Amino acid sequence: MTRRGASLAALLMVAAVVPLGAYLKLGTRVGSRTESIRWRQFPVRYFVTNTGTTGVSAQQFQTAVDRAFTTWHNVQTVDVSAQFVGFVQAPPFIEDGANVLGFLNRPDQDRTLAATTFTVDQTDGRLLESDIYFNTLFPWSTADAGGTDRYDVESIALHEIGHMLGLSHSALGETELIAGGRRVIAAESVMFPIAFSRGNISDRTLKADDLAGISDIYGTTTANRQLGSISGRVTKNANGVQGAHVVAFNTRTGALVGGFTLDSNGSFVIAGLSPGPHVLRAEPLDDGDLNSFFDTSFTVDLDFKATFHDKVVAVPKGGGARDVDIKVTPK
Amino acid sequence: MGALMMSAADAVAQSSPRIEISGGGIFAGGVDLGNRTAQLTSNTPAGTPSTFFVTGSDMKSAPGVQGRLGFFVTRSLAIEGGVRIARPKLEVSITNDVESAANIRADETVSQYLFDGSAVWHFKGGRDAAGTVPFLFGGAGYLRELHEEGALVEEGAEYHAGGGVKWWHGPGRAIGIRVEASISIRDGGVDAEGRHVVPVAAGYVAWRF
Repeated sequence: MTRRGASLAALLMVAAVVPLGAYLKLGTRVGSRTESIRWRQFPVRYFVTNTGTTGVSAQQFQTAVDRAFTTWHNVQTVDVSAQFVGFVQAPPFIEDGANVLGFLNRPDQDRTLAATTFTVDQTDGRLLESDIYFNTLFPWSTADAGGTDRYDVESIALHEIGHMLGLSHSALGETELIAGGRRVIAAESVMFPIAFSRGNISDRTLKADDLAGISDIYGTTTANRQLGSISGRVTKNANGVQGAHVVAFNTRTGALVGGFTLDSNGSFVIAGLSPGPHVLRAEPLDDGDLNSFFDTSFTVDLDFKATFHDKVVAVPKGGGARDVDIKVTPK
Repeated sequence: MGALMMSAADAVAQSSPRIEISGGGIFAGGVDLGNRTAQLTSNTPAGTPSTFFVTGSDMKSAPGVQGRLGFFVTRSLAIEGGVRIARPKLEVSITNDVESAANIRADETVSQYLFDGSAVWHFKGGRDAAGTVPFLFGGAGYLRELHEEGALVEEGAEYHAGGGVKWWHGPGRAIGIRVEASISIRDGGVDAEGRHVVPVAAGYVAWRF
């Protein structure tokens, strides 16, 4: 099962939410420009629906969700926090001014483990409300070591809270087609749109890609002086490639961070990178359904081979390596 | 006037030289900076790493230039300061891509500056010797490396030890040729996490007075 409906649900709730920048971030159109959607005040105050599901009480759910919030809070380059206010009868996905997380029975969403909705002030991208539901169509667990044949609440909460904070999906993973969908073979981002298998708790830990994404949105002044970025283009026969997945690999730290080309010029920006030499890899976005990343109006070029850039790119502290041109060839 | 100048030259040759200036070329060996595997977390209960692709980094061997200024504090012992400039290539080979992307060698040119100080021990009469003078030296330095666009500066320490020979010729034996070989240990720089040994050969034209 997948959680790829998460952003789609969000997009349906707030029509103007669009992909922006790397990882992806979520954004909203404000006039002619695009603003990152983000919380302007912390802590984010949240409620939990006072209803459990088989094997997970509301209290156990809240404890697991709190650990996931704490994991995001502990990212050293940002200053985000959340505060549990209390249990409520109201289910999530009701626009009531309160951020509510809880279980919800959604048999119509039979491939969606969980989803996040937003209410955004479309004048400045400020988040006003965000709810997360966990679909009781699936079996859940909050066991420390993960529950056999059950999805891990904390892992999925970490992903959905990433959305709640303004991140969209990462494409940093490999999948295979199976009957009825895709199965993830391996991934290196909590924000990958397809969840690991039941019982797996690997996604309780944020990866470099997640850290870069959240740092790009909420990076502290100190972090912004320490981190850098890479920008450039992916081109094929001198023309821009839209929707290419670009991965930056720090050969010193081993950190992998992904981004996308988001216009017809093939332009990309990957920010939140730790300084050092990087190699770059561009690949077609073929490891997930395109609507997990972009809306249907966005054209994605899949006709090129996975390619490494022929230059080592050094990311400076507090600055950017610019004008990188990754040349790819048709398949 | 001419006679006076000859006398001065004789005086240089006959008195002990105190200062030595030299400049020339160096050749520094390459450094294997090691391999690094780009890994994904596999969809298994243990979450074992899964190879995305593999990189291997090398700082390639490169020529450079160096200038040195020495001062004899005793007949045999001199202290020296020097500046070395080289532009080696940082090369990263990329292989074993999970989607069979073509293997490639990505590279960039690194501007490398070394500011060092050394103690030099001369044999066979030291500063007063004519002809062939063997010497040993050792010291430390500050390494500053700039990546290709110059925006990222890497700093490190350098330690070195070696030996060589000087041949003094010309009027008053004031002009010489100096050749040396050394081991340079780099701590930091482009490879911020490692310490590496680099063989260095150098040849200079030297002037003492």
